[in-house]
Amino acid sequence: MDFLGEGLRRALALLLAGDAEVTGVVVLTLKVAVTATVIACAIGLPLGFFLATRPFWGRRAAFTLVNTALAFPTVVTGLLLFGLLSRRGPLGGLGWLYTWQAIAVGDVCIALPIAAALSAAAVQGVDPRVRRTAQTLGASAWRTAWAVAREARFALAAVITAAFGHVIAEIGSAMIVGGNIRGSTRTLTTAIALYTGQGEFGLALALGVILLVLALLVNIALQVLQGKAHA
Amino acid sequence: MLELVGVRHCYGGRMVLDLERFAVPPGALIAMVGPNGSGKSTLLRLLALLEQPTEGEVRLDGEPVCGGPARSRPTAAARRRVTLVEQRPVLFRGTVRENLGYGLVVRGVRRIEVNRVVDNVAARFGIAPLLERHRHQLSEGEVQRVAVARALAVEPEVLLLDEPASSADRAAAQMLYGALAEERRRRPLAICLASHQLEDAYRWADDVRALAEGKLSPVTPENLFRVELPNAGAGDLKHIRVGTIEIAVMTDRAGPAILAVAPSDIFVSRAPLTSSARNVFAGRVTRLARQRPGVVHVTADVGVELVAVVTEAAAGDLQLTPGGPVVFAFKASAVRLF
Repeated sequence: MDFLGEGLRRALALLLAGDAEVTGVVVLTLKVAVTATVIACAIGLPLGFFLATRPFWGRRAAFTLVNTALAFPTVVTGLLLFGLLSRRGPLGGLGWLYTWQAIAVGDVCIALPIAAALSAAAVQGVDPRVRRTAQTLGASAWRTAWAVAREARFALAAVITAAFGHVIAEIGSAMIVGGNIRGSTRTLTTAIALYTGQGEFGLALALGVILLVLALLVNIALQVLQGKAHA
Repeated sequence: MLELVGVRHCYGGRMVLDLERFAVPPGALIAMVGPNGSGKSTLLRLLALLEQPTEGEVRLDGEPVCGGPARSRPTAAARRRVTLVEQRPVLFRGTVRENLGYGLVVRGVRRIEVNRVVDNVAARFGIAPLLERHRHQLSEGEVQRVAVARALAVEPEVLLLDEPASSADRAAAQMLYGALAEERRRRPLAICLASHQLEDAYRWADDVRALAEGKLSPVTPENLFRVELPNAGAGDLKHIRVGTIEIAVMTDRAGPAILAVAPSDIFVSRAPLTSSARNVFAGRVTRLARQRPGVVHVTADVGVELVAVVTEAAAGDLQLTPGGPVVFAFKASAVRLF
């Protein structure tokens, strides 16, 4: 228990002291997670809506593909992305390997299937009469989609939370394409892995606590939003 | 004019609607009647341009707007001329006021005008006190009234109603139909409603059409029975069991069919008459309904429930009363099969 208590005390001390390195890691982690979540949801939510509402040839196969991608190991994602972004890879010219952009791209690849699959499920859960009613009242395709999204907004908010939670806790891809470079690509998860390996359990635990607090804050924000929506 | 032409519609390979032509002329008030599963709701969804028919097309003023060989999808402009209220309508999240204004808002109508129209339609449908309520604060009947008012707020040319009074008590149904009648007096509006309430259909509609197993019945909707025709030689007089009676039919068909007897083809008397009618059934009057001036619908239990139509004078001459004796007679050739 002393071990855990020490970790918590250290986390608090680090945060209160405004340790520059820790602050940098937290800021980078948030920057990567928010960027990846926004991009993944901007693509994934409409894709999920499309999958859920539009009949097209190969729809079942598309669903299978998206659902399979949900279980895709993040280290494999990182490995493939490493191949694409390495100097000899097709995207090597971008010079993104070992940058925060590479980590964000990896996180987008990981969060996109989550956003698409879960939003498709959320939209499929909406009463089909909502869509028909919007259409019969003269709503355009966008307005109809918006009416359905409003009905599914709690589920869609949960999708965004799940995507954010996934990318903020992701380590496999971040380690491979980010390289865990101090002051540049070191995120909370890669830092935790590093400090644990170096025997700095207290520091690793402190960063773990910060990660948990971030996840908790996102969930609280969602619950506050839901509470307001119910009011 | 809104019409379905050569429409055959299937769900999962099963034919649910098969109509050569079904038209809703401008200003008409048509009631579709038929048992559950007869295709009424599907028909309304096709008319509302919400589904593409598997075969055939939907036309608006003679122009194909949905389906056909090109598998065309309806434009927003076409869809905005027709509005459907489903049997169990849903209200969107938000207040009744927001729901009533939805169709106007999506048309880009200014907020002041939206509020004016909403207040007006709410007053006509007696739902002004509900304007600031949310959907979970409404009864089923209130939701139905709000949904009908919401559909009329956008002033469609054709209003499609699926069992509009299914959740309403008699008073609420009267008010609903009264408001619809007033709306039709106010402006040109065609209404096509699906109902299983024959009385409502006859009372409020100008034209009553029956649907059975996805097909239009050649006769009015009473006296429809699902039967199994036995195999027999062509042109045979067959006796088909319906309930506890056997109805004589002239047909060379076999297999499943809908048997129909038009109420106007049934002779009504107090005692059996000597005639050429092959079908003579004695029973008791269960109900007398004056649904139109001068016309009485006589419902009798003759082993199954059959309905006949007589003039008010004839009903008086025969001294028909509920519970009193009656004989129904009709020719085998008057029985239709489809």
